[in-house]
Amino acid sequence: MSVDVHEVSVAFGGVTALNKVSLQLERGRILAVIGPNGSGKSTLFNSITGMVAAAGGKIAVDGVSIDNMAPNRRIALGLARTFQTPRFDPHITVEEAVLCGFYPVAKPGMLSSLLRSPGVAREEKSFSDRCSEILRELRLTKYRATKMGELPMGQVRLVEVARAVANNPKYILLDEPAAGLARDEQAMLSVEVRRLVEKGVGVLLVEHNFNLIRELAEHVIVLNRGAMLMSGRAEDIARDKAFIDVYLGSSGR
Amino acid sequence: MMLRMRDRLRPAFILFIIIAALTPLIVGKPFWLDNSILIAVFSLMALSVGMSYGQAGILSVATAGFASVGAYATSIVTAHYGLSPLLGLLLAIILPMLLGYPMARAITRLSPMPLSIATLLLSMVLEIAIREGGDFTGGYIGLSGIPNLPFASSLEAMHVLSWSIVVVVIALYANLTHSAIGRAVKTARHDPLRATADGVDVPKILASYFALSAAVAGVAGWLYAHHLMYMGPDSLTIHVSIKTMLMTVIGGAQTFLGPVLGAAFLTMLTLYLPASEAQGMIFGATLVFVLLVTPRGILGTDWLKLLSRSKKRETPIADVTRTSERTA
Repeated sequence: MSVDVHEVSVAFGGVTALNKVSLQLERGRILAVIGPNGSGKSTLFNSITGMVAAAGGKIAVDGVSIDNMAPNRRIALGLARTFQTPRFDPHITVEEAVLCGFYPVAKPGMLSSLLRSPGVAREEKSFSDRCSEILRELRLTKYRATKMGELPMGQVRLVEVARAVANNPKYILLDEPAAGLARDEQAMLSVEVRRLVEKGVGVLLVEHNFNLIRELAEHVIVLNRGAMLMSGRAEDIARDKAFIDVYLGSSGR
Repeated sequence: MMLRMRDRLRPAFILFIIIAALTPLIVGKPFWLDNSILIAVFSLMALSVGMSYGQAGILSVATAGFASVGAYATSIVTAHYGLSPLLGLLLAIILPMLLGYPMARAITRLSPMPLSIATLLLSMVLEIAIREGGDFTGGYIGLSGIPNLPFASSLEAMHVLSWSIVVVVIALYANLTHSAIGRAVKTARHDPLRATADGVDVPKILASYFALSAAVAGVAGWLYAHHLMYMGPDSLTIHVSIKTMLMTVIGGAQTFLGPVLGAAFLTMLTLYLPASEAQGMIFGATLVFVLLVTPRGILGTDWLKLLSRSKKRETPIADVTRTSERTA
């Protein structure tokens, strides 16, 4: 049970954004992707979720090839993602934003939604309950009725995570979820990520905060200029000279 | 948002109360009953615009086109073939959907401007088809002899029926808006990529929603035809589409009762305006005024907030959502 990315390449015009990157994301594991800005981390996310077309390579989820699947069908297979720059409608409340994440699990069609059949009413109730639960876990309950546009950036990122968690994904792709979070919020986020992992969710984590990565991830992949520079355990990577050069610059030595 | 039934159906209930209160005042006054029915018809068309434009973000000028499809469908089956107006109603719902869905499916990928132009073209094609339809559509002369509804033959009954349909449509519309589909459509309007990440098939859901709004316009056309008992090529033109667009924007495109308020307001305005030549000027001025003061429409504006804001200017909230994801 895993997401298998095999030698995926993405090109924007003449620029190769991703060059034959391979990885395996297993359920119940955390895999971290790091690299400098422009190294292709978000492009990797976009190619897995189908938001950019891959120029080559294969991607499979639980053995099912998803190369020709539209993004929404990939999400329905159990993928979920957050965005590096949170995307949200500033006019809706936190609760509404999280409820939007339930879409892949919602079953009723247009007609039963129009008529508000008992099934729809039951489902809305269960979404609302589950939403309260997610908000409680991420300590967002007091923001429930707050407009997204009035929320501090740290909380906006947490809402992004909540929205991604809502559809019960098997694999979740988190794009810099801890950027701009206060230390205690980061701690809470890592508790939440661990809880997901215990439930058997595979987590692909893009993050700049190496302490958080060291705390969470067993395995780390380093990207540089779209290519895989190295991969290994977080401690080994942190000591690696080539990694330090690329990531921190030579003065970091 | 998880709303209790009472909250969700409040707009439909408020409208029901208003109509129930006004009805005794106009019973036996054909002039007012006639206008009330027209306002109900325009309300339905404006609600159709509210669904497509306010919710799905599709600026369509085919509203009157879809209404005329509904109107002609029922006119032809009842006046030509003597069939039941209920069959006409069924056709008035289904035909606009069949027309609207593939069109929206083909063009929702386009940016808003070409989309509007496509709806403009559709209405022009429909108008030409009606004029050139010979005896089938009545051509330039139009179709007369459309029967009134056997179950609503008096003006009073027609008034009750029309407004009942408006109330039911608002209730259904509110149900849909507060469901997973309604939320997905709202997200898709604001940010298609965000909706895709939520797992939404954006072109499909927008097209379905547009088809549904076309069906509402079709029902308006059905009422229109059976009320006026005549349909001609000049009955439901692009001009009417633009007028309903105006009604919707003035009342509040994203609200449930805004389109109804806009329809009532503009219809009454037309009644009391002296010359028809001056109407365009007044309509234009009203639109500019509304867009300047309350871009979200009369019912879409938080008036208390607006008044307090005019005292101390707040900095607007930064819109960070349209930033490209391709960096990094």
